[in-house]
Amino acid sequence: MKLKPFRLTLLSLSLLIPAALAAVILFLLFYAGQAFGFNGFGFVSRITWNLGDLYSDPVMTRGVLVPPGASYGILVFIFGTLLSSGIAILIAVPLSVGAAIFLSEAVPAKIRPVLSMLVELVAVVPSVVFGLWGIAVLVPFIGNIMGPAISHALGFIPFFAGGDSGGGYGLLAASVVLALMITPIIATTLLDALLQVPKENRESAFALGATHFEVVSKAMMPMVRTTLIGGIVLALGRALGETMAVLMVSGGGINILPSSLFSPISTIASFIVSQLDSAEGDPTNMAVRSLAEIALVLFIITLITNAGAKLLTTGLPHVRHNKH
Amino acid sequence: MNIKRSLLRAGVAAIALAGLTGLCTSAKADTTTLVETGSSLLYPLFNLWVPDFTAANPGIQVSTTSTGSGAGIAQAIKGLVQIGASDAYVSNAMAAKHPEILSIPLAISAQEINYNLPGVKSLKLSGPILAGIFMGKITKWNDPEIAAANPGVALPAHTIIPIHRLDGSGDTFIFSQYLADSTPAWKSALGYSTAISWPAIPGEIGAKGNAGMLQAAAANPYSVTYIGISYAAKVAAAGLGTAALKDADGEYVLPTPANISAAADSVVTTTPPDERISMIFAAGPNAYPIVNYEYAVVSTNQPNGTVAGAIQNLLTWAITTGNDPKYLDKVHFLPLPAAIQILSKTQIAKIQ
Repeated sequence: MKLKPFRLTLLSLSLLIPAALAAVILFLLFYAGQAFGFNGFGFVSRITWNLGDLYSDPVMTRGVLVPPGASYGILVFIFGTLLSSGIAILIAVPLSVGAAIFLSEAVPAKIRPVLSMLVELVAVVPSVVFGLWGIAVLVPFIGNIMGPAISHALGFIPFFAGGDSGGGYGLLAASVVLALMITPIIATTLLDALLQVPKENRESAFALGATHFEVVSKAMMPMVRTTLIGGIVLALGRALGETMAVLMVSGGGINILPSSLFSPISTIASFIVSQLDSAEGDPTNMAVRSLAEIALVLFIITLITNAGAKLLTTGLPHVRHNKH
Repeated sequence: MNIKRSLLRAGVAAIALAGLTGLCTSAKADTTTLVETGSSLLYPLFNLWVPDFTAANPGIQVSTTSTGSGAGIAQAIKGLVQIGASDAYVSNAMAAKHPEILSIPLAISAQEINYNLPGVKSLKLSGPILAGIFMGKITKWNDPEIAAANPGVALPAHTIIPIHRLDGSGDTFIFSQYLADSTPAWKSALGYSTAISWPAIPGEIGAKGNAGMLQAAAANPYSVTYIGISYAAKVAAAGLGTAALKDADGEYVLPTPANISAAADSVVTTTPPDERISMIFAAGPNAYPIVNYEYAVVSTNQPNGTVAGAIQNLLTWAITTGNDPKYLDKVHFLPLPAAIQILSKTQIAKIQ
């Protein structure tokens, strides 16, 4: 048998990526193992997170040594993660669809590269910069102007109440920062797809007497729907995992489920970062193990969103096919 | 044929690489590198110390990073760094598990309780009042308990915005220790730690780092928060007030150098040889209640004598020359009392 060094090299290189992923999952599973037993299924349904008294001697609880009072529940952070990412998508999708259509339809071809480059530039701004902007500009703006205004207009709905009491840190601030970070991701993917719609389709739609709005909404958008969903999922992935910018503006709420747009929240990723330092002071290591278990939950959530997106994108053409 | 050639190439590359790294290490062989990580409160002081120390000791290089007290302790225990900086001493459980780990005081720090109250120039607060605020039992500035402590002060009928650290922090540790020592209800419910399971209070804010606390307090009128004393100048510039706190003797005291020294002096005689002691809520006249040692967490077992010698060198320098006001004044720290300096030196001598 002849050895093929080129093929072998490529094979081993390509295996490295899934191997690294498997290594991470195995590590998390192995490391969080003891926490599974201690936390049980209540881990995802309890709302109290307490590292316990790290300065007292550990006590035997449910068969393992943990700091006295230690109780790990992460429902608050699951809520915070899903809510902030969900609202961010709600804000970002109309913005980015509008921006992409504007860039592909209303801007002269000569200026388009300049403008689209500007949009792409937003995508490469480091997240901590968004966080700083959030603290310096967005949070005071929400606290002083936007929050009171929203609560004044829509305060009769509980979810929009309370904008006048807090300082602007919270769910809304986190969602807006996230929305800004993911808008360029959706916009650029959509723009690329819109520019690839065959000229013939556009021109025949126009020839049939469609208005410009109808051309875009009826002839072009259906063709790029899969790409749009793909872009949204890509963006959702980034929003779910975003850490630093969220940590800076979210208000870090723990032990209470967010009840309004202005509640302080914690997301899973930001919470892991904020707790890791203290968790390392736990002589029994249970705190760090529980953080590993949270990381697994985040991993599962992103996995589910991605799988859902795969289903949507591969499923959609069939649905449309059946209609015809 | 092919595979032979590629193997040959790989071999040549490997040898070249090995040669290069060999060159690099041999060039550095005569210097010892110490790594320090941990407390963000000690970090600025280490950065003032290191240039002068390395200038006086050309054979030693020191790299400093600011990660957090918990990381400082954890990484010193794991042996990843030679010096872990921490605002909190190593806990009893940790000390029992890792008897080789020393907690060596390097300087004395304190914490201010700052408030943003338009129109109020001076404010007195106590441990039970602060515990009530951070547990959500005292929600208005004109609460009878606050009013009783501040006769003659026009307190607004506004909701209090408590601001706490959301990252693990030595500041949270000493703040919660003050509340635990002065208020039994806090002690039994929440205890003290670098991360507290903060009770949910409407309008509360979690901020990251001392800088984030300052920003949040400055931007939110009617807020109250705790900030490390090294930020005193910035706190004053932001127009925040500093509260006088009720000490163990029932007096209200401000974090002045004299009052901080009074707290430090009061525990000099009771400090044990391993120097793991709380200065919080110390007894004695005019003793400011939130004062702490800033610790270097170091293992007695070092890989070799050179490294151990370098650590001893650095720490001894830090508690003698490094305790000079020209360094400490910049971060508002105070020098160690002479008796504590001797205890620290005894501990430093154990590093091998």
